[in-house]
Amino acid sequence: SDDKINSEPKIKKLEPVLLPGEIVVNEVNFVRKCIATDTSQYDLWGKLICSNFKISFITDDPMPLQKFHYRNLLLGQHDVPLTCIEQIVTVNDHKRKQKVLGPNQKLKFNPTELIIYCKDFRIVRFRFDESGPESAKKVCLAIAHYSQPTDLQLLFAFEYVGKKYHNSASRINGVSPEGGGRGGMGAGGGTPSQKTPLFETYSDWDREIKRTGASGWRVCSINEGYMISTCLPEYFVVPSSLADQDLKIFSHSFVGRRMPLWCWSHSNGSALVRMALIKDVLQQRKIDQRICNAITKSHPQRSDVYKLDLDKTLPNIQEIQAAFVKLKQLCVNEPFEETEEKWLSSLENTRWLEYVRIFLKHSAEVVYMLESKRLSVVLQEEEGRDLSCLVASLVQVMLDAYFRTITGFQSLIQKEWVMAGYQFLDRCNHLKRSEKESPLFLLFLDATWQLLEQYPAAFEFSETYLAVLYDSTRISLFGTFLFNSPHQRVKQSTEFAISKNIQLGDEKGLKFPSVWDWSLQFTAKDRTLFHNPFYIGKSMPCVQNGSVKAFKRTKKSYSSTLRGMPSSLKNGILSDQELLPRRNSLVLKRKPDPLQHTDGQNSDMEQYLREWFSKPADLHGVILPQLSGAHIKLWKLCYFRWVPEAQIHLGGPITAFHKLSLLVDEVDVLSSMLRQQHSSPLQACDTDLDQGRMFFRARGLPASAGTPEFLSSSFPFSPVGNLCRRSILGTPLSKFLSGAKIWLSTETLANED
Amino acid sequence: MASASTKYNSHSLENESIKRTSQDGLNQDLNETVPRLPGETLITDKEVIYICPFNGPIKGRVYITNYRLYLRSLETDSALILDVPLGVISRIEKMGGATSRGENSYGLDITCKDMRNLRFALKQEGHSRRDMFETLTRYAFPLAHSLPLFAFLNEEKFNVDGWTVYNPVEEYQRQGLPNHNWRITFINKCYELCETYPALLMVPYRTSDEDLRRVAAFRSRNRIPVLSWIHPENKTAIVRCSQPLVGMSGKRNKDDEKYLDAIRETNKQNSKLTIYDARPSVNAVANKATGGGYESDDAYHNAELSFLDIHNIHVMRESLKKVRDIVYPNVEESHWLSSLESTHWLEHIKLVLTGAIQVADKVSSGKSSVLVHCSDGWDRTAQLTSLAMLMLDSFYRSIEGFEVLVQKEWISFGHKFASRIGHGDKNHADADRSPIFLQFIDCVWQMSKQFPTAFEFNERFLITILDHLYSCRFGTFLFNCESARERQKVPERTVSLWSMINSNKEKFKNPFYTKEIDRVLYPVASMRHLELWVNYYIRWNPRIKQQQPNPVEQRYMELLALRDDYIKRLEELQLANSAKLSDPPTSPSQMMPHVQTHF
Repeated sequence: SDDKINSEPKIKKLEPVLLPGEIVVNEVNFVRKCIATDTSQYDLWGKLICSNFKISFITDDPMPLQKFHYRNLLLGQHDVPLTCIEQIVTVNDHKRKQKVLGPNQKLKFNPTELIIYCKDFRIVRFRFDESGPESAKKVCLAIAHYSQPTDLQLLFAFEYVGKKYHNSASRINGVSPEGGGRGGMGAGGGTPSQKTPLFETYSDWDREIKRTGASGWRVCSINEGYMISTCLPEYFVVPSSLADQDLKIFSHSFVGRRMPLWCWSHSNGSALVRMALIKDVLQQRKIDQRICNAITKSHPQRSDVYKLDLDKTLPNIQEIQAAFVKLKQLCVNEPFEETEEKWLSSLENTRWLEYVRIFLKHSAEVVYMLESKRLSVVLQEEEGRDLSCLVASLVQVMLDAYFRTITGFQSLIQKEWVMAGYQFLDRCNHLKRSEKESPLFLLFLDATWQLLEQYPAAFEFSETYLAVLYDSTRISLFGTFLFNSPHQRVKQSTEFAISKNIQLGDEKGLKFPSVWDWSLQFTAKDRTLFHNPFYIGKSMPCVQNGSVKAFKRTKKSYSSTLRGMPSSLKNGILSDQELLPRRNSLVLKRKPDPLQHTDGQNSDMEQYLREWFSKPADLHGVILPQLSGAHIKLWKLCYFRWVPEAQIHLGGPITAFHKLSLLVDEVDVLSSMLRQQHSSPLQACDTDLDQGRMFFRARGLPASAGTPEFLSSSFPFSPVGNLCRRSILGTPLSKFLSGAKIWLSTETLANED
Repeated sequence: MASASTKYNSHSLENESIKRTSQDGLNQDLNETVPRLPGETLITDKEVIYICPFNGPIKGRVYITNYRLYLRSLETDSALILDVPLGVISRIEKMGGATSRGENSYGLDITCKDMRNLRFALKQEGHSRRDMFETLTRYAFPLAHSLPLFAFLNEEKFNVDGWTVYNPVEEYQRQGLPNHNWRITFINKCYELCETYPALLMVPYRTSDEDLRRVAAFRSRNRIPVLSWIHPENKTAIVRCSQPLVGMSGKRNKDDEKYLDAIRETNKQNSKLTIYDARPSVNAVANKATGGGYESDDAYHNAELSFLDIHNIHVMRESLKKVRDIVYPNVEESHWLSSLESTHWLEHIKLVLTGAIQVADKVSSGKSSVLVHCSDGWDRTAQLTSLAMLMLDSFYRSIEGFEVLVQKEWISFGHKFASRIGHGDKNHADADRSPIFLQFIDCVWQMSKQFPTAFEFNERFLITILDHLYSCRFGTFLFNCESARERQKVPERTVSLWSMINSNKEKFKNPFYTKEIDRVLYPVASMRHLELWVNYYIRWNPRIKQQQPNPVEQRYMELLALRDDYIKRLEELQLANSAKLSDPPTSPSQMMPHVQTHF
């Protein structure tokens, strides 16, 4: 029943499809949407509307050239959520004027063209040649205004959820306010619809402690009602030896009162902990000592604590943002052909891949500390809510196979991002006013993709899932990625509820729909694309028994028939710098310098990695990233999906994915037939069968069926109409845009009287 | 083989020969003999220190046969094995002299054609280095010592004869030739028209042998335009040749002009004949000075010429050298992408692929027939025609089809393998050497990356071909042209690489292969998609090693096995049930419309 937000998918005569609480604020008719990069022959005619949720282009014209459309139930094919808009450019080509529109700005010309730069890398373009000039202008101004709200409560999610609460008695449109929170995959086909733990409650944390088999750790409730800190969750996990009273006292010394938070425990007892800096200089040593002692006490072997200062070792959020801007510029804005010659060095210059690599590398180091050195690790960061989110979650993806399942991955995001106070509102820049924008979450998805690319059979989800998850951060309907902290949700939505006369009862703030309720966005069939056919599944780790055995490598995976054998390591290891002289050089460096040898940490880690890589990877155990330049790759699906020139028609990894899906589906059918045979041959057909796990189904296909015509390297996305880089006034789009920025500043100066 | 673990790299050549030793894993019997092919004889063995660039010096015993250099570690904790066919050696140097001091500074440095370098340290006493140097030199460069290449001594037997894979008449028949526009000519039966062409040629029906002789006089090395491939429906053709002998004075040749017109008219299009000159235009102009050149507009009214800007063999050789510098022994880390860019290797790959796409597109669209040439028509021309054919004709994407393609466009049309590779030749600095064929295989690999289901063969197939391009174990790539091969009776006296591959086909199959008959493959020749072929160029580095076996292929095979198991169990169950219910059994494979064939 949650499945039907749009009970009537068919669009009535140029009428927008609106969600509860959604209202049209402005519209203009006879608009042309540009489709192809090089020609206007495919352009579509229709109506452009601006609502408080999205801009929507409504047309009767069928979409040309496009062979497949991955339909989002919340959005029409031509829609862009307001929170996905990065920049709005208006052009008048008769007057040769152009302007980047900010909120509350004047527009002194009637636009003939509107270009929307989207945060998900699309560029959408409309022409107003035949529209009423005033209406066109009004729509542009409305879009500029509504896409850059000044207040959090102006984001559509509030309106939507408010309407839901008002309607909750009648329940017309689906999502119940209470039920929206816990999303399962609900994809059917034998996958039990698993609920994602949100870590909002005591019991979720308690279960996580038991699941990891952690001893010496307890759930702490001192922050109930956010009495201690407004950027911590209400419940979190701390060393058992620290009493609530002590924690309350210590908390004052931490930035943001963000005291140590337990993330995860290894089966060997070592724990991963994150915390903010201790700002109180006088108390610093003392508190630090107490905390470390407590963590040591919580370790069954009383091992030492290894501290990693993330601010000192990793790029900061501004640097990451700068890399992202360059990457985006290179991937979509710059002309395709012109960037070809220097593509590799330009890509390197963005530093994006370098940052992906650094995060993977440091996370692998933490894995080494936890797993091999059996040390508990404390991730320390100024506020402990940016880089730590990324490192803490990557470490867990590498160490714990549970987090490589869909439910597990979602719970990880809840645990280490949403609940830990990652500032989604600021970092995603939903209000478009902060200088705090930074794509850390995308960087995490990218790093996860690198692991998925290197270990395709270790993940339950596909790269489509990761891309869709990224897109979902741009839809301001879900509470998941809307706030800077759980407290902010409670505070803001309570205020909103009061202003709207909504009775909250016992609830702490409004319950926004959760992004994990994927049925809000995709049909059950479309959700099956999230499943990775390469995944070698295992029955879900058991929660009841407390300890999880998944971390241990099974003896049989050492079998020499599979892969390699331990390499010879006796002779020390030449580190990367110690290049052998190429030729005719008489002096050979044979063994590492004794000096370098004393740098034990590094070479131990090297040795650990080396030994690990010399054995077959246990996909249900630890996975470690390969980190050479040749292994860290650009996530093409995410960054090239809108680029028509980069699209491989009937090619790309999806074609192998398709082929394997068919086989998986076939095996699923056979296994369910077998089950039936075992139980009773006369039993009615298993309902599982109607709803397979795989998007691509073997049933009903002729054996000779080849690759479906609609597959391409962009699948399930399509560049058609989503990256219109036609030149403007004869200027290539990329140059145009940088020009527009300069022009904006001068015009604004001249205009503001 | 640079490290113990690489031994299991299934992509390496050694895999065939050391299967025996690898099966029993760790517990290797040190007394076990060196793997030996029939016809292979042990020449000498020595105790050496192998200076492994990845794991440091390792004491071992090296065995040198007339085919390979084989080293086994003598250290108890190391299972390192090095198995190098002598054919891959391009250069052997002595390092250190009598006065050399320091451990391991006296020995041999061996440069290989497959991107690696091997260093051995030997004792200064007892002439052991001189012995090893001389033995290696003698057997790695047999041509300089009047010794036969190992292929002529190899007595391996396979149950398939690879020499029968390619039969030109059958291949032309497969293409529907001859027809009323194209005929087979025997004018080159004894290689009298053109020494470097095959005996059998496909030419326009209405051109007489007499005319062909006159055309030959105007084409460099008599390599006249002949058909490589014809489109089954629109009948446009890919035709290959060498440059016209225009020279500084801008000579013309009526017969050549008439001949090109005859080619143009073989299909019913009224459009112009498209000529793709593979070279950059400056090179084409420069060639006039040495008597060559290109087809001018004045002389060839009905032709349209474009240059494809692909550089010559020397540029490619230098480019590959730079690749080697950034990957061996250590992989450039800090600026990997810009270092890779500075080698220009991928840029060259891009130009070759772009050229081939243009050829394929012209022909597939039916716009016109295409004539392809470079200077001599045996390097860039072979790359372009064979890649275009691979894009156009799905037959060439099967294992045997690809063998036919290589056999036809490369081997029979006189790509100078002997000169480009330098089989058994000690002149490592020979300017004739160039990795043109490697570049072609790299392009094929790039295509297979972009279309993971379009090729019947896997990566191992391509790597195996490249390994035996150098190994001299098979006769397939020996000599420069068909006439030389015939003189040497290569097919009678040597084993074909395809014999080994085709008798062991399962190993070389891509499980994702989906046979599609009429599909033209257009790869995207963009730097955004082209990648360095890590599993080939960086395979010696144990740190870069990709997971073997390929986890994705592995997964597919496991599922296939599972499926077969389920089908079997279902059938058994149904049989049992139907016995009970006395209903006619339905086979599960009947219920499943999509049961794929087990590879």
